[in-house]
Amino acid sequence: MVFNSIAFVVFLPIVVLLFYLLPHKWRWLMLLAASCVFYMWFVPKYILILLVTIVIDYSAGILMEKHENEPQKKKTFFVISIVSTLLVLFIFKYLGFVNDNLVWLCQKLGLDVRTSVNIILPIGLSFHTFQSMSYVIEVYRGHQKAERHFGYYALYVMFFPQLVTGPIERPGNLLRQLHEHKDFRYENISKGMRLILFGLFIKMVVADHLGTYVDEVYAHPAEYNSWSVMLAMVFYSFQIYCDFFGYSTIALGSAKLMGFNISDNFRTPYLSKNIGEFWHRWHISLSTWFRDYVYIPLGGSRVKFGRWAFNIMVVFVLSGIWHGAAWTFLFWGFAHGLLHIVEKALKQHVPRLEPKSKWLSVSLDVLRIAKTFVLVTLFWVMFRATDFANMRDIFVAAVSNFGGGQSLAVKPEVWLYLGLFILSDLLLFNDRFDTWCEGKPMIVRWLVYALLIFLIIACSSVNSFPFIYFQF
Amino acid sequence: MKKLLIRIGIVAVLLVAMNWIYSKWFYERDLQAHSDMVNLPRQVVADSCRIVYLGESSNRTYGWAESDQRKISDMVWVYFPNVRCGDMTKDASHAEIYYNMLKLIPKESSVETVVVTMNLRSFDAGWIYSRLETALQKQLVLLKDYPPLLNRFLLAFKAYPIRSEKEWDKLVNKHWRTDPMPPDFKWKSTYEWDMSFPWPEEQADNDLMLLPHHYVKAYAFQICDDNPRVKDFDAIVKLCQKRGWNLIFNLLPENVDKANELVGQDLVSLMQLNRDYLVERYGGQEGVTVVDNLSLVRDVNFIDQNWTTEHYYAEGRQLVAYQVAQALKLLYLADYQEITSSYQ
Repeated sequence: MVFNSIAFVVFLPIVVLLFYLLPHKWRWLMLLAASCVFYMWFVPKYILILLVTIVIDYSAGILMEKHENEPQKKKTFFVISIVSTLLVLFIFKYLGFVNDNLVWLCQKLGLDVRTSVNIILPIGLSFHTFQSMSYVIEVYRGHQKAERHFGYYALYVMFFPQLVTGPIERPGNLLRQLHEHKDFRYENISKGMRLILFGLFIKMVVADHLGTYVDEVYAHPAEYNSWSVMLAMVFYSFQIYCDFFGYSTIALGSAKLMGFNISDNFRTPYLSKNIGEFWHRWHISLSTWFRDYVYIPLGGSRVKFGRWAFNIMVVFVLSGIWHGAAWTFLFWGFAHGLLHIVEKALKQHVPRLEPKSKWLSVSLDVLRIAKTFVLVTLFWVMFRATDFANMRDIFVAAVSNFGGGQSLAVKPEVWLYLGLFILSDLLLFNDRFDTWCEGKPMIVRWLVYALLIFLIIACSSVNSFPFIYFQF
Repeated sequence: MKKLLIRIGIVAVLLVAMNWIYSKWFYERDLQAHSDMVNLPRQVVADSCRIVYLGESSNRTYGWAESDQRKISDMVWVYFPNVRCGDMTKDASHAEIYYNMLKLIPKESSVETVVVTMNLRSFDAGWIYSRLETALQKQLVLLKDYPPLLNRFLLAFKAYPIRSEKEWDKLVNKHWRTDPMPPDFKWKSTYEWDMSFPWPEEQADNDLMLLPHHYVKAYAFQICDDNPRVKDFDAIVKLCQKRGWNLIFNLLPENVDKANELVGQDLVSLMQLNRDYLVERYGGQEGVTVVDNLSLVRDVNFIDQNWTTEHYYAEGRQLVAYQVAQALKLLYLADYQEITSSYQ
C-alpha cells in the first residue's frame, strides 16, 4: 500500500480509530495485522521473507541473552543471525547482479556461460533487514534487552508507517514505545495530520511534477539542449529529496497519530556547507546506522588520516551498494566518499577563511552551500542513470549541446510549487513542519492547511510515480 | 471534543469553498488535460444530433491506399441526409467507456437514438484486462457523478486500477487459464486450447504461425452473466431506457473465415454461441435492437491479416453501415433515403 493512494486514505483512519478503541493489551495485535495488510498489498507472498528474518533474529536475540556469560556461544548466535539476514538480502537483491557480472567476466574469458537470475526484489527489503540487524547488534552489545514477546518483535520490524522506506528505527526508540500505553491526545492527531499534509504536498505536488520532466530528459538526453539537461539534473535533486522526504514525513505523521515518535530522516540537507554535513542531514537513519555499526567499529575518526579515509570509503561504498545492486550506485557511493575525504584533507591543509564582516561570512556560507548542492546534484546523475551509458549521455548532453536541441517546457505552476517548497525548506531550517506551525497564529496555521489541502487535491501530479526508495 | 468538532466544521466549510474555487477555475483545465473524451458528448449535444454512433478504432480505420476513407458512421449518415447525426469514436474503448460518455449527454438534449458498437472481442479477458485499461480508467475518474473536487481527489490519490503492463498480462493469463468454457467442450480453458497449437521457434519471424494462437486467445471464451462487459452493456440499456433513447447494438463482424481456416469449426461455434447469447439477452429488451453482423464481412475485407481486429476495408465498412442503416430505417422511415453503393 502506498501513502498517496485511496487505499491508504481509508486504511489509516480505520487503524488509528481501532488503536484508540482497543485496550492496550490488544493494540500490538491489531497493529501487526494492519502492518501485514499494508505489506501484503504489494506482493502477498513476500511476507514470508519478512517472517523468516523475524523468526531468525527474534530467536537469536533470546539465545544471545540466554548465553550472556558464554561469549563464544553468544557470538555464534550473533553471527548466524547476521549472516542469515545478509544472505536473504544477498539472494533477493544482489544475486542477479553478481550473476550478471560473473557471466560477463566468463564471456570475456571466452567461456560460454549463460545463467540468468530473475528474482524480484521484495519491497523495502533493505530497510527492514537493516532494522532487524540493528536489533540483533544492540542485543549482542548488551544495549538492548532481548524481546520475549514475538508479537512485539514482529511489530518492531513490521510497523507499517516505516516498514517499506524507513526511517530505519532502533529498538531503543521504537520497540520501547510499542510497549508504552498511548492515550488519545488531540495534540498527537494535530501534529500527525500536519506532517501527513506536508508530506503529501511535497511528494504529490512537488516531486511528482518534477518527475515528469526528469523522466523525459533522462530518457532522451540528446534531444535536449544543455540548459534543459542541467535543469533536469537540478529537478532530480529536488525530486528525490521531496519524494523521500515526503515519504518519511508521512511516515512520521502516521505514527504520530497513534502517539509514536519515529526518527527524523531529513534536516534541510541542501543547506549543507559540505558533504560531511550533507550526510548528517540526508537519510539520517541510514547514515547513523552505518556510523554506529560500520564506521565506529572500523575505528571511526580516531585513527590516522589514511585509515580514516579507508573507513569512510568502506562506509560510502557500502551505502552506495545498499541503495541498489548496480555499478552506478557503487560509483555514486564512491564519489561521495572521495569528496568527503578531499574536503577533509583540504580542511586540514588549507587555512580556513575567517571573514571579519558578517555579510562576507554569510556570502561565503552561501557559496559553500551552492558548491555542495552542485556536487550532490552531479552525483545524483549516477544515482538516477539507468546505467553508465545513460550517465555518460546525460553528462555529455549537459556540456555539449548549448546551441541545439529542444528546451524543456516547464509549466509556470511547477516553478511555483518548487518555489513554495524551497521557501518551506528555508523556513524549516533545523525545524519540522509540525513544530513550526505551533508557534503561528491560528489564522496563519489554517491558511497554510487550506493551501496545502487545495494544492494536494487540485494541483497534484496525476502521473503515477512510485516512491523512488521503494526500489531499495 | 468540542475543539475537534469546531475544527471538523472549519474543514467542511473549507472543502465547500475549495470545491467552488476548483469548479470555477481549475476543473475545465483538468478535464481537457486528463479526460478529453468529455468533448465527444459535448460536441454531439452542441451539434443537436438526433442519432449518435459510439465506436472504437473499427469506426475510423481504413486501408492506407483506400480512396474512400469514410468512417462507418459517416457511411450510415448518408442514408439519413436530413437527420442530424454524430459519432463518438475513441480507440480501444468498450462498453464501460461508452456508458460513461452516454451519461454525459443530458436527457434534455436532442438525442433520440444511440448506436453502440458491440465488439465480441471486448468480452474477452485480453481486452477486459488490457494494458490500456489503466489509461482508460484514469480518464473516467474526473467524469464521475461526484463534486468536481472529490473527483480530483480520487484522481490525485489514484482511485483507478494502476497496474504495470506485466501485472495486466498476468491477470489476462490467469483468466485464460481459469475462465470456464461451455460444459462438455473439447477444451477446458483458453490456455489449454492455445497450447494445443504448435509454437514457432523464433516468434518474431513467424507471424502466421502465431495467428491461430491469437484467434484462440481472442475468441475462445464463453460470455456469462458476470462478465464485466455484460454488466456495462446492461447499464447502457438501463440508461437509454431511462433517457427514452432508442438503442441499437451494432455487433461487429469478426473474421469468421480465418477463425475457421486457422482453428476450425469449434472456434466458430463458440463465436456463434456468444453471438446468440448477446442477441438473446439484449434483442428482446424494450427499445433495444441488436444488429447481428458477426459473419457479414469476408476475410478479404479485413485490413489486418496477421492480427485479430475489426478493421475493415471500405467495402466491409459499407456492409456494416448498410445493416445499421436498415435498423435505423425502422425508426426513421420518413428520413431514410436508399442509395446505391458501388460496393453492393
